[in-house]
Amino acid sequence: MKTLKIVIVATLIMVAGFSANAQLTGTEIVEKAYNRAAGDDQTSMLTMTLTNKQGKQRVRKISQFTKDLGDIEKSIMFFQSPADVKNTSFMSWSYDSDKSDDQWIYLPALKKTKRISSDSKSDYFMGSDFTYDDLGDRKLEADTHNLLKEETIDGNECYVVESISKDEDYMYSKTVTWIIKDSFIGYQKEFYDEDEDLLKILSIKKYEETSGIFVITNSEMKNVQKDHKTSMVLSDVEINTGVSASKFTERMMTRGL
Amino acid sequence: MEKLLNKFLKTPWIIVAATIIISALFFMQMKENTRMETDLDKYMPQDHPAFVYSDQAEEWFGINDGIIVAIENQKGVFNTATLDTLKQLTRRLQKMDEIEKADVTSLYTADNIVGTEDGMDVKAFYKSVPSSEEKLNEIKLNVENNEMTFGRLVSFDETVTVIIAEIRDDVFTQEFYEEILSLVDEYETSDIKVHVAGRPIVEGTMALLGPADMKKMVPIVLLVITLVLFVMLRSVKSTLLTMSVVFFSTLWVFGLMAVLGIPIYAVSTMIPVMLIAIGVADGIHLYSHLQLFLRKNPTATKKEASVDMIKHMWKPVVMTSITTAIGFVSLLTSQVYPIKYFGIFTAFGVLMAMVFSLTVIPAGLMIFGLPKVKAAKKGGDLESNLAYGFATKILKRRSASIIITAVIIVISIVGMQKIWINSSFLDKFEKDSDIVLTDQFINSHFGGTTSLNLVLDADGKKDAFKNPDVLKLVEKMQNKVENDLEIVGTSFTLTDYVNRMNKVMNADKEEFNVIPDSQDMVAQYLLLYEMSGDPENLNKVVDYDYEKLNVTFQLKSDNSKAINSTLDVIHEFEDDFKKQGISMKYAGSGYKGLVFTDLILEGQIMSLVLSLFIVIILLSFMFKDIKLGLIGAVPIIVTALVSFGIMGFLDIPLSTTSALLSSIAIGIGIDYAVHFIEQYRTNSLKTGDKVLAAQKTMAHSGRAISYNAIVVITGFLVLLFSVFPPNRELGALVSLNMFTSFVGTVTVMLVLLYSSNVYFKKKK
Repeated sequence: MKTLKIVIVATLIMVAGFSANAQLTGTEIVEKAYNRAAGDDQTSMLTMTLTNKQGKQRVRKISQFTKDLGDIEKSIMFFQSPADVKNTSFMSWSYDSDKSDDQWIYLPALKKTKRISSDSKSDYFMGSDFTYDDLGDRKLEADTHNLLKEETIDGNECYVVESISKDEDYMYSKTVTWIIKDSFIGYQKEFYDEDEDLLKILSIKKYEETSGIFVITNSEMKNVQKDHKTSMVLSDVEINTGVSASKFTERMMTRGL
Repeated sequence: MEKLLNKFLKTPWIIVAATIIISALFFMQMKENTRMETDLDKYMPQDHPAFVYSDQAEEWFGINDGIIVAIENQKGVFNTATLDTLKQLTRRLQKMDEIEKADVTSLYTADNIVGTEDGMDVKAFYKSVPSSEEKLNEIKLNVENNEMTFGRLVSFDETVTVIIAEIRDDVFTQEFYEEILSLVDEYETSDIKVHVAGRPIVEGTMALLGPADMKKMVPIVLLVITLVLFVMLRSVKSTLLTMSVVFFSTLWVFGLMAVLGIPIYAVSTMIPVMLIAIGVADGIHLYSHLQLFLRKNPTATKKEASVDMIKHMWKPVVMTSITTAIGFVSLLTSQVYPIKYFGIFTAFGVLMAMVFSLTVIPAGLMIFGLPKVKAAKKGGDLESNLAYGFATKILKRRSASIIITAVIIVISIVGMQKIWINSSFLDKFEKDSDIVLTDQFINSHFGGTTSLNLVLDADGKKDAFKNPDVLKLVEKMQNKVENDLEIVGTSFTLTDYVNRMNKVMNADKEEFNVIPDSQDMVAQYLLLYEMSGDPENLNKVVDYDYEKLNVTFQLKSDNSKAINSTLDVIHEFEDDFKKQGISMKYAGSGYKGLVFTDLILEGQIMSLVLSLFIVIILLSFMFKDIKLGLIGAVPIIVTALVSFGIMGFLDIPLSTTSALLSSIAIGIGIDYAVHFIEQYRTNSLKTGDKVLAAQKTMAHSGRAISYNAIVVITGFLVLLFSVFPPNRELGALVSLNMFTSFVGTVTVMLVLLYSSNVYFKKKK
């Protein structure tokens, strides 16, 4: 069954790639990028390196699990290092509907799990330069998408799509994304702030094919206004290993790995 | 020398033409290349350890001076109109080129992190401006319950809310200030008032206002001096030629600065002041001599008169100018570049004034002819009689001069004990000026407009500031400083975030508003804050490795007494921190200003002492007698002491400008002394009579010195009408110094000269 599924997914990707020559609209391109197959679950080790203006770094190792349950995507993360935050865990449930995410944090020193409610998706993820939205939480309908041009960067043929926020108070006035034609991977993305000044640049350094699915394993987000950057490197990526849905509970958070 | 000068007499036109052509060239250079330096950071010695560290710390923590925009509404700020104004002003400030978007802080940009029964809640206070009563009330409650914002971004009485916009170095200009003011103006309504304050505004206004006021006042000073000079010399030609010496020497100085690409600093505006005071002296002495010569020899030709003038006067003019110039050159010992430049260029100006006095003035005589002088009246003229009488009286009551001088010195020394140094900028403005009133207004509603940054440095020991013991000590220090000193409004650092997170994670219970006991707990709270708040906030208080901490104290005054008293309390904790391996350092503009002022004064006192020694040695060589060197230094010493003594009694703090004035005391004091001693020497040798020599000297040099003093004193008293208080102080102190030097020379110095018997030894 699993093999069949992969074959289907792979075929779909291929079909998507071949049909790219058809006249796709900006919205269609972004939709394909958003809906790019990611597998039902994923396990990986994330090494997040924050680099500040002075070139100093903070390195955090996190093991993470995500599972797509149809209309809910659940993820859980356990900090492995630095030592003083080991076993701090974070869980989030994000919904396909308009409902805002549910988030929990467990602090081992406090021995309590706490709910975090936040009205804003523009929160920065783990103190990095990525917001939750940047990591894929953005809804397709939130922006108006226009295909600007087609361009080849680093040998990749890309669509260049501009996405303008419909909500004026949103932290980005617009983003411009270079989406690789055959894989629909967002290869590079520029984020413009409320005043339409360039704020951040996301670049993909490396992506790998695991179980027939493209996984971005090395990406870097640079905040050009603050001269601050975050690199995210994934290792030990495993896809569709059948992570149990029962892993994503408050009780599991307190257990650690 | 004399021969050369006499040769020049044959070619007066060439002298004048050459002077004018070179001046014109300098003027063109000035027009093209002169620039003002308003960035105060540029004044500071970049390699001084305190500045090096401060600059680094400013970089680590993003410490910048902030412009404070305060929005006031007597009906309270939690209404649609005020919150809308706050949002719009925040956005407009963020869009300005001089301001980094992320460096604008207000209720609109702030996060509200609150504890709930089962967790925590991170929200902006508002994004779109609310209009419903219910929403407005919610914002009000949120602000009141958050100690990170209540009293910091919104005043406790809820009538004022502030926007803090940090600006980049080197961007403050008149245009920027006006842009801010007009921006703010747009939002004023009958209910809403908007005020602008903060150190960049104060610094910028001062850097612009001082020189601008000088520009306005100097022509008036020059005009008054010209008028008084005319009254004294009773000749248009003489007056204009004397003033041309001042004019040309000033022009050459600024021309040369322009050629060498040296910008005009605030202290450079003191150069014309010095040159006016010193430059007129040579002319006055020359003309005074000429007049006396013509009275005795009414039939002399202009050539004869000029030759005689040069013969008798070139020596004292050269001597005074060289000693004065060397006095200014001693300022090269200062560590502060603008002061070094000030010293060297004033010295250059003084020497140029000497050259012009000895060339242009005689050339002028040759071209325009001699000034008209009334022939001596029968029975001697009034002035000479006065001078003779005065000299006689002084010499009769020799002990009176000595005793009075001694008493004045003692009183001055008492006054000097009270002198204090002030690096404040605000104190330089009128008490009722907008800038001072706005500052007071904001200080009365918030922590304070002046920041003092304490940097605690664990010297590379990572995670030192996650240690609860260290954090508790930091908090203890914060509390002590805040409680002991009324001048300190608030303080802010990592402890505030840790306390807040502890409280939030414990359902907002007040008893958890403390530092937790476990280091892991601290680390986890900080991680949580990074994940939920703006991580940039933490970067402003602690570095990436948690080994350097920035504690910001908000002070309600920027004067040195306030800053020093805060430093004193902080220092009580130095040993405790040392035990933890943590050292204390400081950063920020307030602290740098303090160190800078100390540096200036230290250099000033050094150069004062140094130049005093040089002057004594020079005078001793010139007059070939160490006694005369010492006697000549007496008026200088008295002038400096009186000047500092009066500042002490009148509570005028030493600042960069008032300290520089000690140079003028020396410059002028030497002039008077040298002219007087030289004349006394000539007269002693000529007459061989002690009393007659004194009387003749008084009638000659004493007269010229009094003219000089009257002219400059009247001129500088004009500065008392200046709109900029430091310039008023300057006017008063220059006048005072002139007066003391004059009185000192013709009384106590005369008495000492007389009693020392220097020129009468052989006869005994």
